[in-house]
Amino acid sequence: MEAMTTRTAALLALGLALGKPAAADETELQALKAEVNALRQELAELRAQIKTTNPTAAQAPVATPAAQLSQQPIPQVTPAPPEWQTATSVSHLAGYAAVGYTDRDNGTGAFNVANFNPIFHFLYNDLLLWEAELEIAVQENGETELNLEYTTLDLFLNDYLTLSGGKFLSPLGQFRQNLHPAWINKLPSVPPGFGHDGAAPQAEIGLQARGAVPLGQMKANYAVYVGNGPELEAEDGELHGVETEGFARDADGSKVWGGRIGVLPLTKLEIGLSAATGDAAVATEAGREPSRAYDVWGADFAYRWHNLDLRGEFIQQRIGDQPASIAPAGGTWRAWYVQGAYRFFSPRWEGVLRYGDFTSPRASQAQRQWALGLNYLFAPNVIAKLAYEFNDGLPGTPLDANRWLGQLAYGF
Amino acid sequence: MRIHQWVRGLLTALSATALLAGLPPRGTAAQPQADTASVARGAVAWANSCDRCHNMREPAEFRDDQWRAIMAHMRVRAGLTGQETRDILAFLQASNSPAQQPSAPVAPIPTAPTTGVHPGKAVYTQTCLACHGADGKGALPGVPDLTRANGPLAKSDAELIRSITAGVQRPGAPLAMPPKGGNPNLTETDIRQVLDYMRQAFGR
Repeated sequence: MEAMTTRTAALLALGLALGKPAAADETELQALKAEVNALRQELAELRAQIKTTNPTAAQAPVATPAAQLSQQPIPQVTPAPPEWQTATSVSHLAGYAAVGYTDRDNGTGAFNVANFNPIFHFLYNDLLLWEAELEIAVQENGETELNLEYTTLDLFLNDYLTLSGGKFLSPLGQFRQNLHPAWINKLPSVPPGFGHDGAAPQAEIGLQARGAVPLGQMKANYAVYVGNGPELEAEDGELHGVETEGFARDADGSKVWGGRIGVLPLTKLEIGLSAATGDAAVATEAGREPSRAYDVWGADFAYRWHNLDLRGEFIQQRIGDQPASIAPAGGTWRAWYVQGAYRFFSPRWEGVLRYGDFTSPRASQAQRQWALGLNYLFAPNVIAKLAYEFNDGLPGTPLDANRWLGQLAYGF
Repeated sequence: MRIHQWVRGLLTALSATALLAGLPPRGTAAQPQADTASVARGAVAWANSCDRCHNMREPAEFRDDQWRAIMAHMRVRAGLTGQETRDILAFLQASNSPAQQPSAPVAPIPTAPTTGVHPGKAVYTQTCLACHGADGKGALPGVPDLTRANGPLAKSDAELIRSITAGVQRPGAPLAMPPKGGNPNLTETDIRQVLDYMRQAFGR
């Protein structure tokens, strides 16, 4: 405003100084006054407009760039989410390893367990999991054995259903698919009949659907599969065993269907039923043997009460007769066990007692066994085991000899 | 008797049931900000599901992303639903979350009025009850009995507030208590109030 007044006075002084006639001067003076008033009004409007848009700026002194920076509000910085939350894929190496010593009565003790089982997990977008386990073990003759325990692609279709394809551990029963890893198995040995060439199927190549569903306060889990099925081992006109390692061929030309249902009426109690059916045949180099019936059924339970763990399992594989075969007579391989384990001394120590019974068409395979064990848990996944087995098998064979076993197992 | 047909029928029925659930594919990953209820459910599912076959691992043993792969594996192997898997993962990841230790001197806990509902009860019900139980005696293996005369509540307020805030792993216990019971939203006031409630309800 002050600048305007000065400007008006200057214009008036300029007009007087030019010495123009009075009438003309009066006219020019009125024009200048009108112009000054217009400018004043325009200035007032501009100020009002600035005040409306930014009240503080209208009255604030002109700021330097540095002052402007210091007065700018600091934006809130949101920390970036961890990479695991945004990564599409996740990989992980798990597995277990064990070393062990066995001293059989009337025999020579030896370090006879040295195995390493890496398990690979690759998860894509929480939709697809590829997992695979290798078994690398040293044999009695010093050679290293390498086996592919399983390799599956697991597709999570919804909360209750997962489809798996590939080579998978047999879902029949519970020992093979859940309990056999050394750091989980509470004794250094497997129950009679639950190892290779026993009564319990080991693995399968095929497709599997599995999952769990809530049933009110209870829960159920299930697994159903279709696979190539087992092959039969025959010699000297007799069946010697059912091979169930998981074959990438189908010697009998028909598939095996099966599955397991587990019901949990209590959160700590699981009761399972397993069954499978299909055909099997003796694998020969000469050509296809006539197929024969193959049926499996089993039952299992697991119960935990405080530090007491109880479980038991029964399973059998039955092979039908086939008169046209090189081994006409069929047979039944049957095994069961019950096991109790109790953790004590908060709870690093664990005592284990197991009874197992395996019957086979071949007398040399049958065995009864009491096993008594004591474990020390350095950590939940680092376990030292000491056990003694009372074995009753074919006299004069290793299956009849009692033995001490020691093992150190680590699950990682 | 051949059970071929029975098994095939069973397979069909189970598959149809699961498919007809009509849920879209859902993964195993927990939400970045897992809710308290999911963490509490996860603690129970972790104790119930994992301990049936093997001992429970220490949640801090693996990184959050590694647990994600492990839980996907266990979902297949242990017969878990997708929701159980996400809950357990939420619990494990909450257990892994570092918590800030209270740096300021611990002020006395304000004693709640003896009448009316204790404000710490709501915190206990929402965050602690799943593991510690309504009676404070512990609902899961490894959870200590709060009612014991020489139990956890025999310790000082300062020590207990530190344990609640930062989490605690008792030697040999299969289950670690996650920081703030797995509920990162607990304030210092919440912790003081719930401790006061536990002392009044279970202390001796």
